[in-house]
Amino acid sequence: MGRKSKRGITISDVVSYSLLTIAAILVAMPLLWMFSTSLRPTSESYQLPPQWLPTEFRWENYLAPFDSSVPFVQLFINSMKITLAVTLGQLVTCSLAGYAFARLRFPGREFLFLLLLASLMVPGQVTIIPIFLLMRSLGLIDNHLAIILPGLISAFGVFLMRQFFKQMPQELFDAARVDGAGHIRSFLQIALPLAGPALATLGIITFNAIWNSYFLPLIFLNSWDNFTLPQGIALLTGYMGAGNPSVVMAAVTMAILPVLAVFLVAQRWIIEALTRAGIKG
Amino acid sequence: MRRTTMHKRGMLPEITPKRREAIVGYLFILPTYVGFVIFILYPLIESIRISFLEFSILRESTYIGLDNYAHMLGDSRLRIVYMNTIIFTLFAVFFNAGVGLLLAVMLNRRLPTLMRNLYRSVFFFPVLVAHTYIAVIWRFLYQQDTGVINYYLSFLGIEAIPWLSNVHWAMAAIIIMDVWKNTGFAMLVFLAGLQSIPHEYYEAAQLDGANERQLFFRITIPLLSPTIFFILVIFMIGALQVFDTIIVLTAGGPGDATRSVVLYIWELAFRNFNMGYAAAVSMTLFAIILVLTALQFVISRRWVHYE
Repeated sequence: MGRKSKRGITISDVVSYSLLTIAAILVAMPLLWMFSTSLRPTSESYQLPPQWLPTEFRWENYLAPFDSSVPFVQLFINSMKITLAVTLGQLVTCSLAGYAFARLRFPGREFLFLLLLASLMVPGQVTIIPIFLLMRSLGLIDNHLAIILPGLISAFGVFLMRQFFKQMPQELFDAARVDGAGHIRSFLQIALPLAGPALATLGIITFNAIWNSYFLPLIFLNSWDNFTLPQGIALLTGYMGAGNPSVVMAAVTMAILPVLAVFLVAQRWIIEALTRAGIKG
Repeated sequence: MRRTTMHKRGMLPEITPKRREAIVGYLFILPTYVGFVIFILYPLIESIRISFLEFSILRESTYIGLDNYAHMLGDSRLRIVYMNTIIFTLFAVFFNAGVGLLLAVMLNRRLPTLMRNLYRSVFFFPVLVAHTYIAVIWRFLYQQDTGVINYYLSFLGIEAIPWLSNVHWAMAAIIIMDVWKNTGFAMLVFLAGLQSIPHEYYEAAQLDGANERQLFFRITIPLLSPTIFFILVIFMIGALQVFDTIIVLTAGGPGDATRSVVLYIWELAFRNFNMGYAAAVSMTLFAIILVLTALQFVISRRWVHYE
């Protein structure tokens, strides 16, 4: 405790450094194993004792998923298409609604906002059956729209954007009004350009959630042409898992790469956003 | 606001600035509300209706009143999946929050900033990776004869554990993997909570001769209690809905040993097409989550101004 106090390194410091290091190693190990296995020859996939760092570099394992009967490229494209559509859609709908709830006055505003917020309490499993029936009657089974459409709105996203727009100083908008700007122009030319951090936060959180989602694709999609990456990799494991962990791990590594890239680039935003969302509830 | 609307009623729709603002406001929330009504409000109401039906896409539906709800009382599989879910929830919440708190407290000590940030990133990264991929990796690690985990345990004199094929170990396997993946989120939130506790409190207590244990239990824990409570509720709500973690690792097996409520709902609705009963079961889960959320709301209101 008390980071500022000036004392030497105590036993409890040593204990906590050690525990932290052990914990970090334990957390990193499965991912290290994934990566080192992905570069090993298939015959050595199950090699014990395990090698944590790659000793060989069979990069051709990374080509194997593309050569297999699994349409790996298509899976990637499908996931990317759904993820981008949902993310862009949410950025639009959430910034519009967030702005309205934060800065425009209209009758019923508080009620409509609370009603929307209350929908956060409704778990997805409760609404999935009617949504499935709806999509079925629209002929959207095994169609990406069945996943994209329900994803286009987000109560959480509206909440996030509203908080951000509320913090903007009123003077900005007063000045714009004096210059004759209407509400739409104020939104597009003043509020939105300043909302970069909030949009980035929402975009990253949504991108990651949709990129990783499994429940909806599992319910709506049923052909290899339409499957998403998580679906494909889960099935790939079933097909060739026992025989070929190296190739499966190469596929998983490739699937995780976009997440890792986003994390490395936007780490500070992600951590701040999730912390803020967490602290405020 | 309301007064002017009333005042203007009866006049021709002259567009006052106030009215213009309201129109723009409604237009701005329109996309969100259309989606909200179609994909949340309507399905919720429809789901309640379906729960009173003998409903399947394979047959004509009939109204059966509370039969679905009555049927649950005698459904032994429902009892099993609820027990599984409760066991998973208790352990997963306890260890996710406990390990997360421990890591956060250690990270909040005197530590070079670089080291703190590095460890924080390592602990947090698995949170961002899909359950599906994590489960695919861990399925290999958990193999009885060839798995890495049993290999290391053998040095401790532990015989090869049938992680995924034994009724009891399979649940442990799921909980361990879940904690590995999710405790980083608890750590992150706890660390932020710890950093918001003013240093003066600790310094004052240290001057009074308090030891580390006292500092922890008399200052840290009480001041962190809103955050702890928040984490417990959030993780509880998430754990009650566990699905992705289980379906790839064990698919509910062996037998029904790791089948959760949501897996059961999914199987009822989309494998057996017994949608009326599935909807009724989902209502029980909804009710539990509603109570937990309400509890969180009420208690956090009471605790929110703790500074």
